[in-house]
Amino acid sequence: MDSTISVSKGCFVFKGAAEGKKGGAIKRKLKDDNATNLQTQISKQPFYSTYTDTWRSLEIHIDQLQSQSYTKTLEDVVQYVENECIVGNTDTYDMEEIVPAAALLTGVNQPDHLEQFATLTQRILEKMSASVCMLQSRDCSTLKSAVETMVYNFIECAQERPPQSDLEDEDTEKRERKRLRRTQCNMRQLVHWYRRKYIKPYHNKDNEDDGVDDEEEHSPHAKQRTKRSHALVVILPDFECFNTTILQDLILILSAYYAHLPFVLIFGVATSVSAVHNALPYHVTSKVKLCVFKTQTAPVCLNEILERVILSPKYAFHLSGKAFKFLTHIFLYYDFSIHGFIQGYKYCLMEHFFQGNAYALCSNYTASLNQIKNLSHEDVECIRRLLSFRPYVESINDCKRIIAILTDDNYLKKKLPQLLRDCHIHFMLLRIFLEFLTVLTGDLPKCPLGKQRRELYSFCLSKELRDQPEFKECWQMLSFMSKDEFVSKVSKAISVTEDFLHSEIVDLELAEDCMTTVNEKLQALKDLLTKVVMSGMDEKSPTNSTAAPSTPATPEANKQKFTSRQDLKEHLLQMSKQHNKPSSEYAQSVAQTLLYIQNEIIIKYMAPLTRSPPLHELFVYSDVSTVRRHIIGAPRAALHMALNNPHYYLQCKCCQLSESNQLLATLPDLSVAYKLHLECGRMINLFDWLQAFRSVVDDIDNEQEQVDPQIQARFTRAVAELQFLGYIKMSKRKTDHATRLTW
Amino acid sequence: MDVCKTITEKFPCRKKIVKELINLISYDEEMFPNAIHIHGHTGTGKTTIIKHLLKESVRRNNENVFNVAFVNCVESYSSRILFENIAETLCSENAEEVKVENLKDFVERLRQLKTEDTRYIIALDNAERLRDMEANVLPSILRLQELSGLNLCVILITQLPLEKFYCKTSIDEPIIVYFPQYTKSETLKILSADFKNAQNLLISQLQRNKTENLEQKIDVINTVSRDFFNNYLNLFLGVFYKACRDLSELKITARKCFTYYMTPILEGNVDMSDVSRLWRCVAGQLRTALMQVYIRNGQPKSGAELNDKDSVKIAQSLELPYYGKYLLIAAFIASYNSSKEDKRLFVKNHGKRRKRMQAVNAKAKVAEKMSTYIGPKSFSVDRLLAIFYAILEEKVGLTCNLLSQISTLVNLKLLSFVSGENSMDGTSRLQCTVGLEFIVCISQVVGFNVRQYLCDFN
Repeated sequence: MDSTISVSKGCFVFKGAAEGKKGGAIKRKLKDDNATNLQTQISKQPFYSTYTDTWRSLEIHIDQLQSQSYTKTLEDVVQYVENECIVGNTDTYDMEEIVPAAALLTGVNQPDHLEQFATLTQRILEKMSASVCMLQSRDCSTLKSAVETMVYNFIECAQERPPQSDLEDEDTEKRERKRLRRTQCNMRQLVHWYRRKYIKPYHNKDNEDDGVDDEEEHSPHAKQRTKRSHALVVILPDFECFNTTILQDLILILSAYYAHLPFVLIFGVATSVSAVHNALPYHVTSKVKLCVFKTQTAPVCLNEILERVILSPKYAFHLSGKAFKFLTHIFLYYDFSIHGFIQGYKYCLMEHFFQGNAYALCSNYTASLNQIKNLSHEDVECIRRLLSFRPYVESINDCKRIIAILTDDNYLKKKLPQLLRDCHIHFMLLRIFLEFLTVLTGDLPKCPLGKQRRELYSFCLSKELRDQPEFKECWQMLSFMSKDEFVSKVSKAISVTEDFLHSEIVDLELAEDCMTTVNEKLQALKDLLTKVVMSGMDEKSPTNSTAAPSTPATPEANKQKFTSRQDLKEHLLQMSKQHNKPSSEYAQSVAQTLLYIQNEIIIKYMAPLTRSPPLHELFVYSDVSTVRRHIIGAPRAALHMALNNPHYYLQCKCCQLSESNQLLATLPDLSVAYKLHLECGRMINLFDWLQAFRSVVDDIDNEQEQVDPQIQARFTRAVAELQFLGYIKMSKRKTDHATRLTW
Repeated sequence: MDVCKTITEKFPCRKKIVKELINLISYDEEMFPNAIHIHGHTGTGKTTIIKHLLKESVRRNNENVFNVAFVNCVESYSSRILFENIAETLCSENAEEVKVENLKDFVERLRQLKTEDTRYIIALDNAERLRDMEANVLPSILRLQELSGLNLCVILITQLPLEKFYCKTSIDEPIIVYFPQYTKSETLKILSADFKNAQNLLISQLQRNKTENLEQKIDVINTVSRDFFNNYLNLFLGVFYKACRDLSELKITARKCFTYYMTPILEGNVDMSDVSRLWRCVAGQLRTALMQVYIRNGQPKSGAELNDKDSVKIAQSLELPYYGKYLLIAAFIASYNSSKEDKRLFVKNHGKRRKRMQAVNAKAKVAEKMSTYIGPKSFSVDRLLAIFYAILEEKVGLTCNLLSQISTLVNLKLLSFVSGENSMDGTSRLQCTVGLEFIVCISQVVGFNVRQYLCDFN
């Protein structure tokens, strides 16, 4: 994936050689001979190989999932294209000018969709004989360039994949390749090319298009069959970005040539169908047969990826609640870019593994057992430095063992498998019960804990769930539920969890341990649930009996004359207290069940990271600030920091500032000028600015009118540099004033 | 005279014009006229008739004697392509060899063609585009006969009358042929000629859908008489003739609606003679079809979705990132408030507003003065961001991701640049292109009250 394809959409971090951890594909391409020394060094490290393995499996999984989710729509589109071209459409068969078109509603992140269209192209090429041309708006600034690009692409891409043709064909192709220049590409060329290539057999029969047209009069269907054998598909991936007049003309041209060339248009529409109608006037829409297709919206896609891949129990790597939230936040709040999200995730993965070879243990259980042997002393030390290692050591009572674990590498290595196992099982159980809890709380009114697994996941990783008000609210709502609702809900949660166990967990290592624990809990829960059900059975008479006295009680209460509002209030309060106290058997059993869930499942298994088993840092990446610094570009802030406090970047001794708005003579001139300009209003008087500059830079307090030319030159240069950076602009209205461009 | 006959058979109601045209170009003993200007509305058959007429003439004459180039000017974004297209068909050489750089080359090439009694016709469709080319193209095209010394006629086909072609250097007056619009009865006559097609369409549709009792239904269709079809067309034109006179459009719609008309009959619910009931059944369909005239729809099922021009629905279906929504709202507020009011709206301690008589008068706003009715005003990016930060409760960094949202919104045509699109110094100005309803809907999604921040509503 060329990462600069969407350059108009933001700024990109290029992973330099210092980090040198590119994707596996690139690594393979580079090979040993031209890889830098550093790269070979890194790629031999165990952490690197674990990283590549993990990433590759993740990538494959994501790709699979995405292609699956696109499949439905893409199939539809391909089907449509195929129908239009090969079968031909009957209701317009004597209308030669109507171009079939498909509008694909894609969603707002346009750079993301190029990939989608690339897959679509592939599908079309697989399914049918067609040439596909991706026509982007940036190539279509004028009608000329649009047509040229389109024709060039058609002829070019056909040459790249030469069909199995006879030698003569190849000869002509070779000649073509030499001769074709960009400016020569026009519709006429395309017609000739198409005729030469795809309707050759018929060429002799009807030498000129007049002949073809003649035939058409008698048997339109036959003609369509012969002519439409090879479709020309034009994809406009970013419909909104097109200049409308150019687009109109382009469509008119295509429709004019439709009799000779079977075009199919595919629009990628980011907003809604009305964009198409707004862009095209009637005389153009009447030339286009539009068919609308909808794709999955980006948030749905993301959820799918999150739930199926990133939260999959298959992978040992996890994100901490905050990091997870951070990435989803970028997605939901800023750009809706799935590609961006995946790259962000990949970045976290890289950062995680780059922390050291100890992190090579972050893979599946057996692989990590193998890795233990390879650990060097430093790696083991690295493990000892993990935050969660300390509580673990402290929990050991035996002094000798403590010493052994802290000093003897081999002893620790012997201990490691057990620790790793605990971690693995912990995360698997967490994932399993996440399923359970999501079903339980996902559709409560107002969704205090969130609807999606992702929300709940980041929630329970970062905080102690039990203590959160949202959780309490949920629990209250659950306990207020009617019996049917409650029972169906809990049993649904149980069945979903069981399904999840069977579909996702069974094939994994350590599955049996998890299964036993989970099954045990679920069994207990089922028992409790039957109790709830039974309590209802028994309760039927008690409720009636309690209802019976209460009904006469109310009229009685009504009869009671309240002397004041206060009395009534007190009475009501009392009544509510009474109601609270004598909870029925049903309520008790519900409370029991909930308590069981809370104590046995949530507190035990859905613990926040602070309570996670030792060495969980090996599996969880939590350094949000680094990721933020690297992923989100903040050019304005960085520039401000550089100019306001150069020490931050220069790390020199001369520029250390005690407070941020301090002015020192030793600061770079640009920085001084910048800081001075911050104090001004919209208009800056250059002379005043110069005086201020001089007073800072020139420590000799000379009251002379004449400014030292050297200082003036330095000042002028600083101002020019500020102008270059875009902070100021020389004012045209007021002489010797500059306008601030930032606020 | 049989050219005339075949053409008029094919295109009824155009006998007079066809005759006129044939008089102009079909006799080999006379010289061709210099140029013919054909104009008339869309869907009056200009292009089609000329095309068929010329083809017919070529067929009847020997090709070496009668040479025709039919070129659509839409694709001729440069005069070179126009010339090459013409030259290619006239010279009938290998296409790749044709190289015509400019008008001089073109005329030169035509002169080389010189043979005794060959006649040439150059028909230019969408001729109004010629006006946009170099200044010498249109006048010289109209005098091509004189320039090339051939027996050559140029036919301009356009929707515009000749007056619109006049230019500074003046042009030679061509012969003018006007295609008037078809009257209602003429339209009816032409549409009823389409009877067989409609029937075939219906049958093929049934075959495609694999409906049950196929044989029986096809039998029913075959029994449909032309009178029945004409009857239907009468109903159909009653609805459509007011909205649309484009013949090809009417033809397509008539075919489409005929299937609706036939459905109750095919299903056996209504008898074929019961016209009034049939009308009741089809009226609704016709009305929806009327909404979609000129809009070709691939899938007839989703027709309802298509014509939801309702901005509310669009707003609901539009997925935008959270901050993108807020930026759009901020842009709307910036567009529809004057910057003077910003302080009052967004700063907490903005001081008291002095009440002056003027202000009071201004307050009594009439609808024309409402800025939401007047249309968006432009704003700078700085102001947009300032308002964005004012209406957003949480604190967000000014990051690349946020700034690129603005360009995304521009790309989606929700915002548009008014000026300074390419300048980098922050002086570029934008405006918001969406309406109040749309914004209200979006702000409801994020739980924000826009009206509170619009001067018109305070």
